[in-house]
Amino acid sequence: MAAALGSIAEIERELGAQRVDPESGQPMQRTSVMTHLAWVPEQWVEAAEDVLSGLAERHPSRTIVLVPDPDAEDALEASVEVDCYPVGEHRKVSMETIRLKLCGKRVQAPASVVEPLLLPDLPVFLRWRGLPPFGEQPFEQLVDTVDRLIVDSTEWPGLPAPYGRLADIFDRVAVSDIAWARTSRWRAQLASLWPGIAGVRRIKVLGTEAQAHLLAGWLRSRLGRKIELEHEAADRLTGVELDGEPTPFPPGDPPDPADLLSDELERFTRDRVYEDAVSATRM
Amino acid sequence: MAVAEQQENPLLEGLRLRRTPDPCALVIFGASGDLTKRKLFPALYSLALRHLLPERFGIIGVARTEESDDDFREAMKAAVQEFGRDAFQQETWDWLAERTRYVATDFADEGGQQRLVGALNELDEKQGTSGNRVYYLAVPPSAIATLIHEIGEHRSTDGWTRLIVEKPFGRDLASAQELNAELQQSFEEREVFRIDHYLGKETVQNLLALRFANGIFEPIWNRQFVDHVQITVAESIGIEGRAAFYEQAGAIRDIFQNHLLQLVALTAMEPPIDFTAESVRNEKVKVLRAMHTPGPKHVVRGQYGQGFIEGEEVPGYRDEPGVARDSMTETFVAAKLFVDNWRWADTPFYVRAGKRLARRETTIAIEFKRAPHPPFEESAEGELQPNVLVVHIQPDEGVSLEFAAKVPGQGLTLRTVHMDFLYGGAFRTGIPEAYERLILDCLLGDTTLFTRSDEVEEQWSLVDAIVAFWKRDRPAFPNYEAGTWGPAAADELMRRDGRSWRRH
Ligand SMILES: NC(=O)c1ccc[n+]([C@@H]2O[C@H](COP(=O)([O-])OP(=O)(O)OC[C@H]3O[C@@H](n4cnc5c(N)ncnc54)[C@H](OP(=O)(O)O)[C@@H]3O)[C@@H](O)[C@H]2O)c1
Repeated sequence: MAAALGSIAEIERELGAQRVDPESGQPMQRTSVMTHLAWVPEQWVEAAEDVLSGLAERHPSRTIVLVPDPDAEDALEASVEVDCYPVGEHRKVSMETIRLKLCGKRVQAPASVVEPLLLPDLPVFLRWRGLPPFGEQPFEQLVDTVDRLIVDSTEWPGLPAPYGRLADIFDRVAVSDIAWARTSRWRAQLASLWPGIAGVRRIKVLGTEAQAHLLAGWLRSRLGRKIELEHEAADRLTGVELDGEPTPFPPGDPPDPADLLSDELERFTRDRVYEDAVSATRM
Repeated sequence: MAVAEQQENPLLEGLRLRRTPDPCALVIFGASGDLTKRKLFPALYSLALRHLLPERFGIIGVARTEESDDDFREAMKAAVQEFGRDAFQQETWDWLAERTRYVATDFADEGGQQRLVGALNELDEKQGTSGNRVYYLAVPPSAIATLIHEIGEHRSTDGWTRLIVEKPFGRDLASAQELNAELQQSFEEREVFRIDHYLGKETVQNLLALRFANGIFEPIWNRQFVDHVQITVAESIGIEGRAAFYEQAGAIRDIFQNHLLQLVALTAMEPPIDFTAESVRNEKVKVLRAMHTPGPKHVVRGQYGQGFIEGEEVPGYRDEPGVARDSMTETFVAAKLFVDNWRWADTPFYVRAGKRLARRETTIAIEFKRAPHPPFEESAEGELQPNVLVVHIQPDEGVSLEFAAKVPGQGLTLRTVHMDFLYGGAFRTGIPEAYERLILDCLLGDTTLFTRSDEVEEQWSLVDAIVAFWKRDRPAFPNYEAGTWGPAAADELMRRDGRSWRRH
């Protein structure tokens, strides 16, 4: 690996150089549908890289991975990777990943680093790993830079309290939650129980805490009534009971993490049903 | 509860539910044939893998050849493994195999349908397919009329019945009208699905998205700005052992009548008011009606002789097994067509289709008029090319725009550069095969991407008029070498107008 790049100009120069196809000497085509930012504190790096590699194929984008390191000395350390893959019979397309370590005080001003690297006119998605520091500088700044925030509230401790903070930003940015996406098969299943489900008083969820709160919030907000939640911990959603009656298992296979993120990257508008569910988690 | 029942289900809001087809049985006639093996089963498998088929579903393969259920399943499994686009998963296959049966029968025989009727009733009982039927006619044209008649006579009284008819639909206007009349005896138009698999291709549908979902193209998509349109459907393969079929068809019936005219219609049509089957097809039919018959000078036919493809020597058409030594069947056709309406009057559509051409390629190129007064006369006159918008349908699906740019440095040298949008590059969800889309649409009852009866008749009347001229003379075939872009006369067709075919 070459020495780290320390400025935007160096990053741009390196991207340009790597985009040239060594065989033909011509620049490879860049096909992008978005800029994808990922805020990945050190402990999430491994998990994040796994998902990213599954994603690259489906959503060609410029991906900017931001790794904060507040305790290090003030600096920007970047590396750039241009991957190319063949498309059709004659051409190659390139995709770019920029890995940026924000050291020291730079952690506080991520927007100014990211802005010059965004692809013009294309939507910007921000995947925030772990619980966002609501109200704090790096998060607040980036929220105002992007079109859509993607979180996975399964990663959050202390639920449902943080949902309250999340609801506060709904008017500023469209939000997707992978925990919510993971409940979609079950929501379809529960919806198919209409109208019998209309009078339900109590839901028991065997799954993650996030899934339990979101499903309960969803039922409360859709049905417009109080519904009690009982939660039994499991690392995936494996069962739902309504008033003590187990619901039949939904058909199909659970989607994999890259699929879930990929689906969220296809949405561009606010998800009102999700927002309502989040707001009703603490009822 | 009574109140809730009348209310709309609030839980459905925001759920992205896919429509799933009704329970049904799919009967494939011609199950021992090439299409079933190469396209239909691989497509069904891909649909099953994505859970797009109904849970209560059954497939009955029908042909005259005696074969057991197990042998048929084995053959289809091998076909899915060989031709499928997805990795093979035993579990998905088991799901499909469990629902697959084979019936050997001949509908031309008295009582030939009884074996099938029995199998269908059994399927209704076992799989709960509720009398809903799709009949896929993947048989040679000669067998189609009998099948339509017999199916019509014995159509199920419960549930719905749909019929998928493969191309070629007839071989001239008269035979197409006869087939349509036969169909209309027992079926409504909305029950008939005439396949033109080009319409199932993503990029062909993308042409509609490009035209009607973008504000910048439609205002210039007309005679004022477009100099001409070029449509190429080029194949590098020969007839692949299908001499019996091809000798009767030729390029005009194999490609021109259906795929090529569909591309012309989609390129030239007016914006439909919505994307329902009737609106889209109404607009396409209007284009076909507005096309006038090209005179003999505006049509070129060709037949390939011996030549080279990818460096390998290949025989001429007349030396292909099964082809007459003095065959007059055309393997190439080019034409200059006009769509006589306000949008396109006097704007030629040059089209060509052929086998054993230099490469496999299907493109629609919209060539715009030149800049009226380029202020670059001295340095760049010869170099200045018109803008071309190219829709690539295969192999590299996408859209590209050619425009002039200045070469960096002193002076003003201009070069044509490409701006490309690669469909496969931007959305790598894995492009579904045309047959997947078409089978699914039929199961859902959506006829938008199928050819309507009046549409197919308009296509044939144009073809008939062209073929009528051909009866008068015998061109000196072969007149182009395999691996080239067709006969010299095709180039002449454009050169006369001061234009030329695009090269890549
Ligand atoms: N192959 C392709 O890629 C392709 C592409 C586009 C369109 N098509 C169209 O699809 C249709 C089938 O093509 P194919 O290539 O699969 O042909 P094929 O390989 O010759 O198969 C024809 C099938 O029809 C059956 N058959 C023949 N005569 C019959 C009759 N009189 N009654 C009932 N069944 C009969 C044959 O089985 P038995 O002899 O056992 O009855 C066989 O299963 C044709 O209309 C063709 O134009 C094919």
